[in-house]
Amino acid sequence: MPSEGELQILAVSLRVAGWAVAWSLPPAIAVAYALSRAWPGKSLLDTLVHLPLALPPVLVGFLLLLTFGRRGPIGAWLDQSLHVHLAFTTAGAALATAVMAFPLMVRAIRLSFEAADQRLLEAAAVLRAGPWDRFLTVALPLAAPGVLAGAVTAFAAGLGEFGAVITFASNVPGETQTLPLAIYAALQAPQGEVEALRLAGFSFAFAIAGLAAAEALQRWSRRRLDA
Amino acid sequence: MSLLDTELALKRGAFVLNVRMRAPLDRIGIVFGPSGAGKSLLLAAIAGLARVDRARIVFAERALDSVPTHQRGIGVMFQEARLFPHFNVEQNLDYAARRAPHARMGVREAARRFDIEDLLARPVRNLSGGERNRVALARALLSAPDLLLLDEPFAALDGIRRQGFLSVLREIHEHFSLPMLVVTHQIDDAASLGGWMLAMANGCIVAQGDLAQTVLTPAFQALLDPRDIGAALPAAALRTARSAHAGAWVRADHVLLAAAQPQGLSARNIWPAEITNLARERGDGVLVSVSTQAGPLLARVTQAAVDELALAPGRSVWAIVKAHSL
Repeated sequence: MPSEGELQILAVSLRVAGWAVAWSLPPAIAVAYALSRAWPGKSLLDTLVHLPLALPPVLVGFLLLLTFGRRGPIGAWLDQSLHVHLAFTTAGAALATAVMAFPLMVRAIRLSFEAADQRLLEAAAVLRAGPWDRFLTVALPLAAPGVLAGAVTAFAAGLGEFGAVITFASNVPGETQTLPLAIYAALQAPQGEVEALRLAGFSFAFAIAGLAAAEALQRWSRRRLDA
Repeated sequence: MSLLDTELALKRGAFVLNVRMRAPLDRIGIVFGPSGAGKSLLLAAIAGLARVDRARIVFAERALDSVPTHQRGIGVMFQEARLFPHFNVEQNLDYAARRAPHARMGVREAARRFDIEDLLARPVRNLSGGERNRVALARALLSAPDLLLLDEPFAALDGIRRQGFLSVLREIHEHFSLPMLVVTHQIDDAASLGGWMLAMANGCIVAQGDLAQTVLTPAFQALLDPRDIGAALPAAALRTARSAHAGAWVRADHVLLAAAQPQGLSARNIWPAEITNLARERGDGVLVSVSTQAGPLLARVTQAAVDELALAPGRSVWAIVKAHSL
């Protein structure tokens, strides 16, 4: 049974990963749709989207600190006009997680947009459906399994994000201390191994549940669209 | 006035489509030609689904070339039905009905007319080829198009189902006065739908005009397999073994010529005829053109028969066609 402190860690982890997915999903769908079609400048966007995968997470956290920190251009504006603080808050941890998980989500969603049959979009067009209508009623529903799979993968990855979160949002218990940060903290403490192992067990459980969910979604999608 | 007046040019790799056509679609328009002639591409371009290099598309005095597909009012029934796999049959029909500017008929009525009432709740992956076809046609009609393009809509059907589908198309054309352009590479389908012929080869229109006349031109006959060479006769002039269509294709191989009026024959179509032309073919065949009260016909005979019956232009003979050969 998790202790009260552990429950808090699990709650922060779920909240951070949940917010991260919720914020990044709409832009991820838009970017994935854009990347699934041919247009000039597409490869530039592709590179930008994948940057967080290639950069050290600590650097991503640092860049976030520079822009969204209280002295950063966007952070200062948020502070003054909306009184929103991102650095060292749960929201900040979620933002860092969202940025890191974004490329994973875009990849999964983009694949399913690309796999969707273009001929069905043509069929919708000759039934008088305009571009937005076609996107909402045909492209998106057909890609729905991929969108869900992308969200689940991003959520699972979000539970484990470390470098960007600790750099941007720091390791504040009850606020930004997610599972991996708590494991790290436990390992720093004398005789913390037992606590670290207990937390590792929760991590395992989350990871396995997430992967199983993603797999089930994929099977469901194949069955549904196998027309 | 449902005139389709079109000039199109486009390139796809090495293939060039260059079309100039005027089709008065108060009758069914037929786009006929061998595979690879560019028939499907022509339809896609008219519907705005293919990128064109140059286009002028005017239908019923409305210029469509710069209008996006979904606003052209052109419906398409594709070769593959293209039903939406994430919807069931009824949702597929609703999709069209909800976006139609006016209702030609309701979803229920369409389902009844096309005998798909029992399928409404079914997922589309559980439909047979014929069922898909009917759903696709019902869906196309429910969107109330001003012009319906059909790309080999009966490719998946055979025998009786094909005949049935051809009758349904004619019925729709007449009942709704719906202009239609139908792609086919089967001369029998073309003849039984009748109407206006647009014959294509290698990306160009090689012959166009009234079907019965256009099919007799050398440019058109050159498109046919030698065994298919023949003429189209209107249904009214024929006794056939099938239900009534607009007309039927009478193959030259199925026409007999007799020097004297035949007596006691089982054949149902016997007309006095006058020979208008003789044309030698490769091998032993001679194509004899005759005019009859039913219309012009072609008969393929051997050189020996020509000699024995003294067949020559101006000579009066009798032309005989079995009902079951139609």
